[in-house]
Amino acid sequence: MRGRFSILAVAFLVLLASLYFNLSTGATSIGPAEVAGALFRFDPENYDHYIVLYQRLPRALIAIYVGVLMASGGLVLQGLTRNPLASPSTLGINAGATLFVVAGAYLFNLGIEAQGGAALAGAVFGFLSCFVVARLAGLSRDPRGLALILSGALISMLFIGIANAFLLSDPAGRTDFLGWVTGNINHVYAARLYRFWWIGALAFAGLLLLARPLTLMTLGHEKAASAGVNVVRVSRLAIAAVMLGAGSAVAICGPVGFVGLVVPHIVRPLAGARFGVNLPASALLGATVCLLADLVARQAFAPFILHTGLIMDLAGGVVFALIVKRYYLSPAVGRHA
Amino acid sequence: MLEATDIAASYGQVPVLEGLSVRFDRRRLTALVGPNGCGKSTFLKAVMGFMPITGGRITLDGQSVQGIGRRALARRIAYLPQENHCPDYMTLGELIELAGYARYSLIGGPSARDRQLFSEALEIVGLSGMARRPVNALSGGQRQRAWIAMVLAQDAEIILMDEPVNHLDVKYQYAVLELVQGLTRRLGKTVVTVLHDLNLTTAFADDVVMLLDGRVVAAGPVSETVNTDNVRDVFGLETDIFDRSGRLICVPRISGAPAVTA
Amino acid sequence: MRLGRATDGKPVLRLKTGLQIRLGNLGAAGFLGLLAVVVTAVALGVGATRLGIWDLPGILTGGSLSGEQAFALWSVRLPRALIGFMAGWLVAMTGAMLQSLARNPLADPGLFGLSQGSMLMIMLLIVFMPDAPKEAIPLAALAGGLCVAFLLIWLVGGSHSSGLAILLMGIAVETVLSSISSLLILYTPNETSYALSDWLAGSLFQASWTGIAALAPWFLLSLPAAFLIGRALRCYDLGNEMALALGEPIRWSRPAILVIAVLLSSASVTAVGPLIFLGVMAPHLAGFLSPSTGRVRLILSGLTGGILVVGADSLTRGLGGEVALPIGLSLTLLGVPLFIISLRLRALRNMQTD
Repeated sequence: MRGRFSILAVAFLVLLASLYFNLSTGATSIGPAEVAGALFRFDPENYDHYIVLYQRLPRALIAIYVGVLMASGGLVLQGLTRNPLASPSTLGINAGATLFVVAGAYLFNLGIEAQGGAALAGAVFGFLSCFVVARLAGLSRDPRGLALILSGALISMLFIGIANAFLLSDPAGRTDFLGWVTGNINHVYAARLYRFWWIGALAFAGLLLLARPLTLMTLGHEKAASAGVNVVRVSRLAIAAVMLGAGSAVAICGPVGFVGLVVPHIVRPLAGARFGVNLPASALLGATVCLLADLVARQAFAPFILHTGLIMDLAGGVVFALIVKRYYLSPAVGRHA
Repeated sequence: MLEATDIAASYGQVPVLEGLSVRFDRRRLTALVGPNGCGKSTFLKAVMGFMPITGGRITLDGQSVQGIGRRALARRIAYLPQENHCPDYMTLGELIELAGYARYSLIGGPSARDRQLFSEALEIVGLSGMARRPVNALSGGQRQRAWIAMVLAQDAEIILMDEPVNHLDVKYQYAVLELVQGLTRRLGKTVVTVLHDLNLTTAFADDVVMLLDGRVVAAGPVSETVNTDNVRDVFGLETDIFDRSGRLICVPRISGAPAVTA
Repeated sequence: MRLGRATDGKPVLRLKTGLQIRLGNLGAAGFLGLLAVVVTAVALGVGATRLGIWDLPGILTGGSLSGEQAFALWSVRLPRALIGFMAGWLVAMTGAMLQSLARNPLADPGLFGLSQGSMLMIMLLIVFMPDAPKEAIPLAALAGGLCVAFLLIWLVGGSHSSGLAILLMGIAVETVLSSISSLLILYTPNETSYALSDWLAGSLFQASWTGIAALAPWFLLSLPAAFLIGRALRCYDLGNEMALALGEPIRWSRPAILVIAVLLSSASVTAVGPLIFLGVMAPHLAGFLSPSTGRVRLILSGLTGGILVVGADSLTRGLGGEVALPIGLSLTLLGVPLFIISLRLRALRNMQTD
């Protein structure tokens, strides 16, 4: 058991290290003393301090926020549906948020402030419609949550299609949104982080409180119920927490796919099956991955800054293929599945 | 005659069949028994070519089954998987008609003889009046008999079944196996079936093949092969076996409980 | 040819060869065919230029049209309706094929990444070889779709993998491809980027007689394809092992079906862009109308798909007026309510029979 907790400690140290690299690396390299100085003894006259505190720190905080909520959300959803392909992004959250932001801006002229709220509402809407379609498609008997994955994919195609139609109707305004639509971690969105952070904090705390019943539910809902878990209430609470948490993350920086799907698969073999351990572990690793992706996006083709979301999506698709290969195509596994 | 000689197969790195040799005599009902994971189902899959074999030979009347085309094989061996799923909209009649798939030409359909065969198959399993019903609207026992009617309607001389009485209640377990036994007696089919229950095996099978870790431990007529030593070797289980009017009854021992006596 | 009864007692038309055609299915096909004609006639009457349905008989019998009316009919509306019908037919049929292959009612050329493959290749062509001749576009679409199909076949391996594995692998491929498309849209110059997005949204505006000439061969090809493939698909519906046991050589027939699905879907993508969700919707509605398997299912799905596209197009032209909605969107507006209504009705029907 001690090994499991030392993993958390290691993950935390790695996170701190990547945070430091994220803050210090950039067009101008900033040393550790200056970074610490900017954080603890801010000097308004110092240009480096200014960059760290107003440009890099907001980016880093957004990356951490997104990473924590997406990764823990993915872990919880994979546990609840017992499907290795579940994650906030595959279940319609991204598409819903995209649709609402674009539609809000085009139909009601929402300003950049209100768009955050629209994205949150859209994320919730996309997630709920995914559940509704799965239920309507009559696939609710499916024990491994496949119906959800498929209806999520369809909902996404549909919503993105509609959002694209809006974008096409106004070529001039379109460019403003393309950046957000592909998912981007950018210091511009810091205001939204300051507005929404409490949602994510509450959601994550809620998930931590539900860790034990969630662990039991990975053994199957009937098994959990027989162990005294109120399955319906726990799943509703957990889904609501994931929906709001991941929704607020999407609202801040646009659709980000990769983290929620993949991080849980990296964490589980290391941290075990107990949510009490692997939930914080996923959160730490998710944050680390996002910080590093942000770093790559900024540095890989400097001075051009790539979209973090795009980088992660591309990698995410490939990893998704590997997961399918591992879980669905390996004959030894298929035999018992 | 279906015969396997020294065959080997594996799932990835894990060997499942290792040097398995067995032959199945005509017009007999042979039960494959053994503990979970001993390779019973895998063996049937290997015969059907679903699972590539890495060594040995499986022959049908001396001809290697790999060399027989899918369509030709389907006319000679029918197979009933352990789990079967039918689309919601398919009726029992349509399902039975699919059994003749290997005999239909591209622009053809069931011949008069086929149709005769189909109604006979439905009659044998006692579902004549049900052909209009969707398969998924049938009860569990009826559905299993529907699938048996389908393999029967395939008109193959050999029928392989993977646990045909799984998920059925006791009454239907006996009803279905009686039916299967009837196929060998009345229609001259050769049936090879995976069974889990030793008492069902002794009640209906003519021959038994006992497998452990991908090898044949014992094979032969039920009366000679099902005995306490073989059951201990294969299942690691102490049993008492009694002969009641020519039918063997297996009663496993329970630790701490008094032995069941004749 | 004579009347008879199938094993399940339903009336069939039996050909000399033994081929059975259900009268119920024949009726459904007749009904859908009729509906297709009606919807097309309505589509010809909708638009800015006044040209009612009631003028049509007159035109067909050699009546005269004003120049404006003739242009609206022959150069705009008729090509549009024909292209819409054929594209819808192809996509819906592909969807039905893939659903049997994956044994999942939500499979669709979009979900498999087949349309994404075609689109990505077209986009690459537009971006990197803007001077390429127009004839290259269908080839690019075909090549893109085929690449995806072969990638899928290679990734999922031989006949041992389940339909589920193909489907999930399709989603994975689709994810990668769409992020590459986003990459192109994001980092190409503004005008190219806009042209790409416009293409991606799908539309019938480009409809012309040359377009019809390009699409028609594929439409005609789909008929024998449905005849050949439909038979095998009935076995696929029972699962891989059962299909193999019944004598269907999955090892080569599955790749063959995938390749044909690619040919048909990429032809449709070239003509009108992607038609989202149609591949799921149309077979479902067709199955609701007349439950069927195999060849009949393919044909009925195709008819339903064609009707949906033409209907959606005329609906939005009638309602939308000046605003030009992309066909993908109007299709959604028409199809999704129908889809959900039919699901509810089916659930109710099931409850009554139980």
